[in-house]
Parts: sequence; C-alpha cells; structure tokens
Amino acid sequence: MSRSTRTTAVPERGGLADRAATIAAGWAPTMARLLLGLTLAWFGYHELMTPRLWTGYVPGVSATSDFAIVLVLAHGWLLLVLAVAIVAGIGLRLAAAVAALLLVQIVLDLAVTGGLTDLTLRDVGVLGLAVCLIGETRQRAVLSS
Amino acid sequence: MRVAGETVGARGTAVLAAAAIAGIVLAVHGWSARHNGETPGLGPAAAGPTAPASRSAASQGPPAHASPAGTGSDAPTPKPGPRLSAQSYASYSFRVWPGPVGSAAKAAGTGLAITVRRDASGIMVTAGVVGQPPQPARFYPTGTAVYVVEASMGDDSGNSDYNLGDDGLIVTDSQGRILQ
Repeated sequence: MSRSTRTTAVPERGGLADRAATIAAGWAPTMARLLLGLTLAWFGYHELMTPRLWTGYVPGVSATSDFAIVLVLAHGWLLLVLAVAIVAGIGLRLAAAVAALLLVQIVLDLAVTGGLTDLTLRDVGVLGLAVCLIGETRQRAVLSS
Repeated sequence: MRVAGETVGARGTAVLAAAAIAGIVLAVHGWSARHNGETPGLGPAAAGPTAPASRSAASQGPPAHASPAGTGSDAPTPKPGPRLSAQSYASYSFRVWPGPVGSAAKAAGTGLAITVRRDASGIMVTAGVVGQPPQPARFYPTGTAVYVVEASMGDDSGNSDYNLGDDGLIVTDSQGRILQ
C-alpha cells in the first residue's frame, strides 16, 4: 500500500478538535471508499449467490425467466469487481463513476416503480458517496501499481 | 496500463482479475442454485423462514420448514415441532391470521400475498410474493395461527419488500407449536 503525498490543508490551531479534524480530513475519503466498497460487495455477493431473490427488480424482464437471472448475475459480478477496485483504490475514480452510474439506474428504477420511498432515498445517499469519490484524489491505503 | 484516464498497474490488474474470477465462480454457483431461492420461504408449501432459519442455527433445530411444494392433498400432513415462542426468531414473527392484524404485522407482510381459508377440518394457506405466481396452497389440519417472519423491516417500503431473503411463513397449532 502507498500513501498519497498530497498535503491536506488544515489550519494549525492545535487542540483536540483540530487534531480530530486533521485525522478526519486525511482518512475520510478512505473510509468513504471502504464503506462504499463494502456496500457494493455485500449486494454483489448476494446477487451472485441467490440471484432468484433479486430478479423482481430487473426492469422489463419477467422475474421468473432465466434471462433475468443472467442479468442479476452480471450485475452482481460487476458490483463485486467494482467493490474490489474501490476498496483497493484501483482505478478509483473510474470505478466510482461506474458505480455511480449503476446507482443512478437503481435509484431511477426504484423511484419509478415505488416512488420516493425511504429505500430510494437511502440509495440516493449511497449514490452521493460514489459521486464524491469520482473527484477524490486524496487517498490513503490504496494498492500501489 | 491506462484505462479512461486511470492508471492501473500490474498488481491492480492482478487483483481485479482475481476478483473477476471469484465473481465468475460465485456466478456459476448462483446459476446452478438458481431455483433454490424461488419465493423464498414463502408459500406454506415452503414455509421455512430463510434468514431466521440461519439465525437459529444455534437453537433447537430448523424452524418450521415444510416439505417441497405440493397441494393440500398430496403434501404430507404437517407435524407439530418446537414452540414458536422458544425460537430465536420469535421476536420478529408477526401474526397475520387470525386477526386483528396489527400494524407491525401489516408491515411485515409488505410485498407478500397471503391468504388463509378455514374449513371444518383445518386451514388452507396460500402465500407468495406480490407480482409473482402464488405457491400451491397447503393444508394444515391443526393449524390455528399464521405468522410472517420478517427479520428486518428496513427492506420494506411502500408495497414492496426489497429483500425477501429474510422473510418466511410459519403456521402454528393451538399450543403454539410450529407445524412442519
């Protein structure tokens, strides 16, 4: 693993709060990366292991068809690979961008089929996390090339 | 290697390749077991709660898992098992029949279509997922109550249950024993 050399601009005022702010500024992007990756990995794993449970959410395809299962498996596979890329910081911004696109599709699909529910808004939050990572360049604990 | 402006080194490529292969292996497993999750744990014909079943692994035996699909006539007669109240998932089992059905039970039944019909010799229970074909009905000669197991309400929203993996259906007799 390597650490980014970019300096984090935090005013030097001393004190516990400032120290916490410094730590947070340095590690928050990394935490965001790990937590987003964990979320994607969890869904990817379950879509791969029990695809039948997820076919009801494939738009435009019969939930009982094998084609729906293939689509769920492909989606789960993509989520898993994206999760690894994001957690390890491999092609991070590209992976985050792809994840954001997937989440946009999920949010839109949920909004269309179920309206603005609590689940939809929860995924909007995850989408926000992915969007933030698209532009994030300060990362610690990433896999070096 | 540069991909869309991002540099991916040899180690990164190897890690992603390993993840991709692992994903393929899992996908092959998922494909081969693709029929295992159909209307998971719903339908009295498959009345075992799924996630609750796994949660209760350390407790006394598998909960309320009935035989494979079958109608009331050709399925084996359910036999009483352990008491529902003694199961670890009792706290998130909600009675949906007979009424009155509380708000928590209504929430637990989100996304599920459950019908119970009583006749002189018992109850006939049909359950399934909204929008999907119902499971075959199953007959419980000694059944007196029907419960929905919902481990997490957080996956329910509106009229949809976004994760059926933690749902199940349980029928109990007059002494609260799970019919399985």
